[in-house]
Amino acid sequence: MNSNATRNFIVRNSFLWAAALLIASCATIYQPGSDATIEKLRNFHLAFIKEFAVPKKRFNAAAFDAKVNEGNAMFQQAIANEKFTARRPVLVDLKAQFDADAAHLQSSRGKVTPALASEMEKDVNKIYDHALGR
Amino acid sequence: MPSAGKTKRGKSSRKKSRKKSELDSALDQVGGESTAAAMKEFQDLLAQAKGDTTKLVRQNAEELERRLILLKKRKIKKKDFDFLLENQKRAMKVFIDSQPAQAQERAEKLTLHVLEIAATKVVPVLIAMI
Repeated sequence: MNSNATRNFIVRNSFLWAAALLIASCATIYQPGSDATIEKLRNFHLAFIKEFAVPKKRFNAAAFDAKVNEGNAMFQQAIANEKFTARRPVLVDLKAQFDADAAHLQSSRGKVTPALASEMEKDVNKIYDHALGR
Repeated sequence: MPSAGKTKRGKSSRKKSRKKSELDSALDQVGGESTAAAMKEFQDLLAQAKGDTTKLVRQNAEELERRLILLKKRKIKKKDFDFLLENQKRAMKVFIDSQPAQAQERAEKLTLHVLEIAATKVVPVLIAMI
């Protein structure tokens, strides 16, 4: 009886250790790829702000819509392909920021002040830094 | 006189403990008892948040102050300010949810509550000053 209990204890602990090791390994294996995806999305998002949040620049609705569609596809693909599951909600938050930025720029139709453009860039960098745990 | 010297030191140490910001100077001009009380509550909470040990709480307070000054100087429009405030709220909600339960109430008071007072009480006053 006692030896059975000891054996069960060892088996259960070994199983828990193996599970913890597997989870940690997944994070180690998938996190670098996931970080690279987030950096790629950051570069796209910043380029989007730099292209459409420009004071006194004429608003090109067709180019804007094309870029928003490209962004939506990129974010959706990143969310679907994310193997590090803990990162999926983070990617959803990043997409929400992209959607909010796109909606604000569309409603402003290019009428952006230099101060707003600068604050938008700061917010983008901040949310991506948080996503990467920095 | 020793007492005069004491008074002088007292004044200078108070000055050091809380330096007036550009925003403080603007909000100090507000008249009317209830509005002035609301501004005082906001200034106290903002100062508390700016001195907090958590980096994100400090960062949120500094961003809010900078954006209120931009609004007052007409460098951003009211709808731009509202949009930036929503960004801050979104980021802070994620941060509060990640905090331990016992720390959430304080974090909420120094972030979301400060943002709410800014939107509902401070912004109308600043716009009226422009």
